[in-house]
Amino acid sequence: MVRQLKLKLSNLPISPWTLWLAFLGVLLLAALLAGVLVFWQGLWLTNLTDRVPWGLWITIDLSSIALSAGAFSLCAAVYLIGLKRYEPIARTATFVGLIGYTMAMLSLLLDIGRPDRFWHALIYWNEHSLLWEVTMCVMLYLAVLMLESMPIFARMGWLKKRYPIVSEKMGRVHHYAPYLAIAGLALSSLHQSSLGGVYGVLKARPIWYKPEMTVLFMLSAIIGGIALTLFASMLSARLTRRARINDLLVERVAHFVAWALVAYVYFRFWDAFAQHYTYDPGRTEGLELLLSGPLSFNFWVLEMLLGALVPMVMLLAPYTRRHPFWRLMALGLVVIGVIAFRWDTNMSGLLVVMPYLPGQQTVAYASYVPSLIEMVAGLGVVAYGLLAFSLGVRYLNVVNHRLATEERETVTARLPETVPA
Amino acid sequence: MSRPLGRRDFLKVTAVGATAATATRVMRRAKASDNSAAGGRRWAMVIDQSKCIGCGYCTLACQAHNDSNPEIQWNRVLVAGEVAGRTIYLPRPCMHCAKAPCVDVCPVKASYYRDDGIVMMDYDRCIGCRYCETACPYEARSFNWKEFDGPNPVVPKWGQPEVERRPRGVVEKCSFCHQRIDRGLSLGLEPGVDADATPACCVVCPTGARVFGDLNDPESEVSGLLSNNVTYRLRDDLGTEPRVYYINADPTKMEE
Repeated sequence: MVRQLKLKLSNLPISPWTLWLAFLGVLLLAALLAGVLVFWQGLWLTNLTDRVPWGLWITIDLSSIALSAGAFSLCAAVYLIGLKRYEPIARTATFVGLIGYTMAMLSLLLDIGRPDRFWHALIYWNEHSLLWEVTMCVMLYLAVLMLESMPIFARMGWLKKRYPIVSEKMGRVHHYAPYLAIAGLALSSLHQSSLGGVYGVLKARPIWYKPEMTVLFMLSAIIGGIALTLFASMLSARLTRRARINDLLVERVAHFVAWALVAYVYFRFWDAFAQHYTYDPGRTEGLELLLSGPLSFNFWVLEMLLGALVPMVMLLAPYTRRHPFWRLMALGLVVIGVIAFRWDTNMSGLLVVMPYLPGQQTVAYASYVPSLIEMVAGLGVVAYGLLAFSLGVRYLNVVNHRLATEERETVTARLPETVPA
Repeated sequence: MSRPLGRRDFLKVTAVGATAATATRVMRRAKASDNSAAGGRRWAMVIDQSKCIGCGYCTLACQAHNDSNPEIQWNRVLVAGEVAGRTIYLPRPCMHCAKAPCVDVCPVKASYYRDDGIVMMDYDRCIGCRYCETACPYEARSFNWKEFDGPNPVVPKWGQPEVERRPRGVVEKCSFCHQRIDRGLSLGLEPGVDADATPACCVVCPTGARVFGDLNDPESEVSGLLSNNVTYRLRDDLGTEPRVYYINADPTKMEE
């Protein structure tokens, strides 16, 4: 199917690459306009309210961070556990992570009421707040990701030619990969779970108030992050010759994703199942939204069936796992499942309005549908991510499973420094 | 130790350092707003539902004195039900919880406890993330979605603005009219007794349903009301320990 598409496109006077750039350009321009409007006019342009203060943008923010988790988990696997052969995949994951965290920053800048004060968390510490901890970890981890991607940027042809010394120095950062992997593992373990904790500590929102929030966020992030990295690598390899993958390597990691999904489904099942017993004001209503209410399609189809169970089976079964097309599909479904989980989590807590009047038993319901401006700006953030990754594939070789050995050689070649160039 | 720092050592040092740093900071953290010893003030409000007639003057006076956006009501008057054929109301300001979820969750300490227990907002610090809105069980917080730059429709009929207007993009809420308390105390007035030192909602209330005062002063009117009446607080089950108390509507005490 993809090949047919490629053939058709190659008959056009403009190359598919130009078309793709033009498409993303339009989305980005529209989003720029929306973003300027939001900064100029304020958040009343959104459909957010005091009852539903978090919506589409927070979902994009949470999803970008979750889907970036491939970076820390694969770097830990390669540099700490010592599974060296997965190094090229970790390299792609690092780049995906860098894009994901900058996407999160962009959507957060849109979302907060005073983007000019984003740095306040660095100065005014409330170490009791999980959101403070998340902010600090995200900022520090972004710095780690920047260091980790230095060797990737060092390969830029232009940089190599113009500033060979800078390029060489940037390449040498790779030597510190294990230390960066430790920092990344620590920071990511903290904030990936704390993002669930941000919701999990709020007693006022019964469906959120549970310790397993942290576990579910962490686990789903690792699964989604690795799945996205594999999905993006496979898709790029199908679309362009600039991306080269080692299919066997991808398949092995996909097998790990399958077993991680088994663990996730186990936890998620007990999470939902246990909450189903006995009426608990607010919690039961929140769960009903997921099981039979407005979020039920998301929950049953996108999150559970297509997002977890189907890809779990597809990646466990040898035939579909080995078949590149079905593996690609399964990995894509996992990504959709993680996004749906973030959206459902946010909404199931916010749409239920808890009563606080004495003797009042019934909960009220709020509603939220993102406004056009939210969607346009949100799409722009996604378009930025797609553009950055496409450029990375084209110019930085971010998906190239034959590259790793070369890079390791540059590191070892660093030893005889006294030898004149 | 002449050998270079190995990966394990690095990990150890990092872990120990991080733990120590976190522990010291957490231990230094001020413990909620319970430092009530040493004769400090502890402001509270008692609202008698038998007396509240639902006129909503409190909301209007609040909007005027605090110059708030017409779309924002720090104090809301809700219908709570019916007793003996009469509608019962429940005015809801900020509860000024002793264990306020909003203070716990704010990433920049823009919500904080004053020494007198008032849960205060630092509008210059708030980044507008709205986490506090999701955390507050009482819907006491409002976000400035839109710039408020026109004239305030309730000024001057319901009072004169006493505080600066909040900018767009920050969260705001009832402050127990801290400006009136602070100015009153500096003039030697007693909040809850002298009108000029008492929250505007209590002053304007035509039936005297809202009483303000110092919980630490056994002679204050709020202390008296609390010891002579059965009172309750909203969502006491959450453990937030609100400082707004309600006296249930009693049909025998309601005026015609």
